[in-house]
Amino acid sequence: MKTVSTNIPQSVLQKARKDSAKVLKVKIYDAVQKEFATIKEQMINDFLNLSITQEILAGSEASNISGTLSGKGNLFSFIGFEKSDNPIEPILNLLNSSSISFSDGADYAVTITIPSAASIFSATPMPWASGRSWAKGIETGISGLGFYISKSGIGRSDAGIQSSKKVSGGGFKKTQYISAFIQKYIKQFSSIKSSQINIK
Amino acid sequence: MIEQFQHKATNSFMLWFDNYLLKKGQAYSNKSGSFYYYADDRLDDRFEAFGSPYKQWVNDSSISGATIPSGVYVSGSFQPRSSGLLLDFTNGRALISGAASTSSVSGSFAVKDFNIYFTNDGEEDLIVDKKYTPNSRVFSAAVSYIEPYDNVVPAIFLSSQSINNAPFAFGGEDTTKIQMKAVVMAENSYQLDGALSIFADSFNEVFPSIPFSGNPTTEYGDVKNGTYSYDSLKNQYNSEPLFFIEDVVTSKLSDKARKSLSNDLFIGFIDFEIHQQRYHRL
Repeated sequence: MKTVSTNIPQSVLQKARKDSAKVLKVKIYDAVQKEFATIKEQMINDFLNLSITQEILAGSEASNISGTLSGKGNLFSFIGFEKSDNPIEPILNLLNSSSISFSDGADYAVTITIPSAASIFSATPMPWASGRSWAKGIETGISGLGFYISKSGIGRSDAGIQSSKKVSGGGFKKTQYISAFIQKYIKQFSSIKSSQINIK
Repeated sequence: MIEQFQHKATNSFMLWFDNYLLKKGQAYSNKSGSFYYYADDRLDDRFEAFGSPYKQWVNDSSISGATIPSGVYVSGSFQPRSSGLLLDFTNGRALISGAASTSSVSGSFAVKDFNIYFTNDGEEDLIVDKKYTPNSRVFSAAVSYIEPYDNVVPAIFLSSQSINNAPFAFGGEDTTKIQMKAVVMAENSYQLDGALSIFADSFNEVFPSIPFSGNPTTEYGDVKNGTYSYDSLKNQYNSEPLFFIEDVVTSKLSDKARKSLSNDLFIGFIDFEIHQQRYHRL
């Protein structure tokens, strides 16, 4: 075998390195983008499958599948939502706004932005006291006040008005909801290599 | 049972809350006038009760400008506090030993804008189920005494909702997180907004642990040793672990919801998250 030795000019080498890096970067970003989209879709589906979410989505006729009320009534009526309310929508909008961006520099860093628990709490006001969050209340406890207000018949959830059973706040079992959910997905998104999680 | 952390937390929080509202909001009015005799079955036989038209007088001498009574006028002459004359700040009255029911009793005092109570009742019980005697701080009170013992409004009801520990540092130090709630029942929107605004600004405030033995009130509603200052009490316990207000959220019952209630009160909520770092396993 004969070995031929040749001198490639530095300018040619530099251009080759630059062009190959560009191609590689596009490929990496494409893979990261796909991975992000998969986790984002999984996050939204996972949120929609939480028992709290499902019970509230089912509205005033739901049964207490989350077990937070020991099987009596349902969360939608207990919290005191009006029949036309869609309390889950603001959370879905925030989760849907999760995004990814890529750096223009020489590194391969990506920034992923997902909603914080605090921003979700801000977007989920109690129907009868807007400074309070019903989503936070699921984690810290909710009084039975909304149920009583709805029972008094000012056009809130029908089930609340019709129910004759007393459901007191003492009967509400607080449970993990948004905070644990967001923590879980910060970890999931962080598993995408070279990414930086930015919580808005 | 000996005193536990929860007992200390409750006592410390209530003393801090009362002082903070009075000091930051100057939430009191100075009053003077006649006291009225009434029979009280629950009272020690030694004493006769002469009630003012207001209950929950200010007993904290660290509140500048507030008239803290040290005695009352009986038939025109000033009688200082003694073993035969007690001042029941909680029920707004003087307890006088051996006084005739026809005695003329009068005095000066500062009344709190809000009565402060600690309760285990839920919000629905407090707001919907219970009926309260109004003891207006805006309109002139009736020319008579206010009944003792029962809760009156305007008032703020404090309650402890939950407590849990989370790891803080190596060596067994935990952060104990306490959820305290306050239901504010005000006579008008101005009063409600004032109370909520004061406590919204209590974010990042600290207060010391004060045991029950440091509580200034006697079984008669008077102050121990004849005087009480929260500032002095706080300094006595400043080497004790501090409570820290990690988060505070205020909110108001919407007008729509308020109109569905049988009473005419303006209602708000203050949700506190209070932290303290502790070695509770030692």
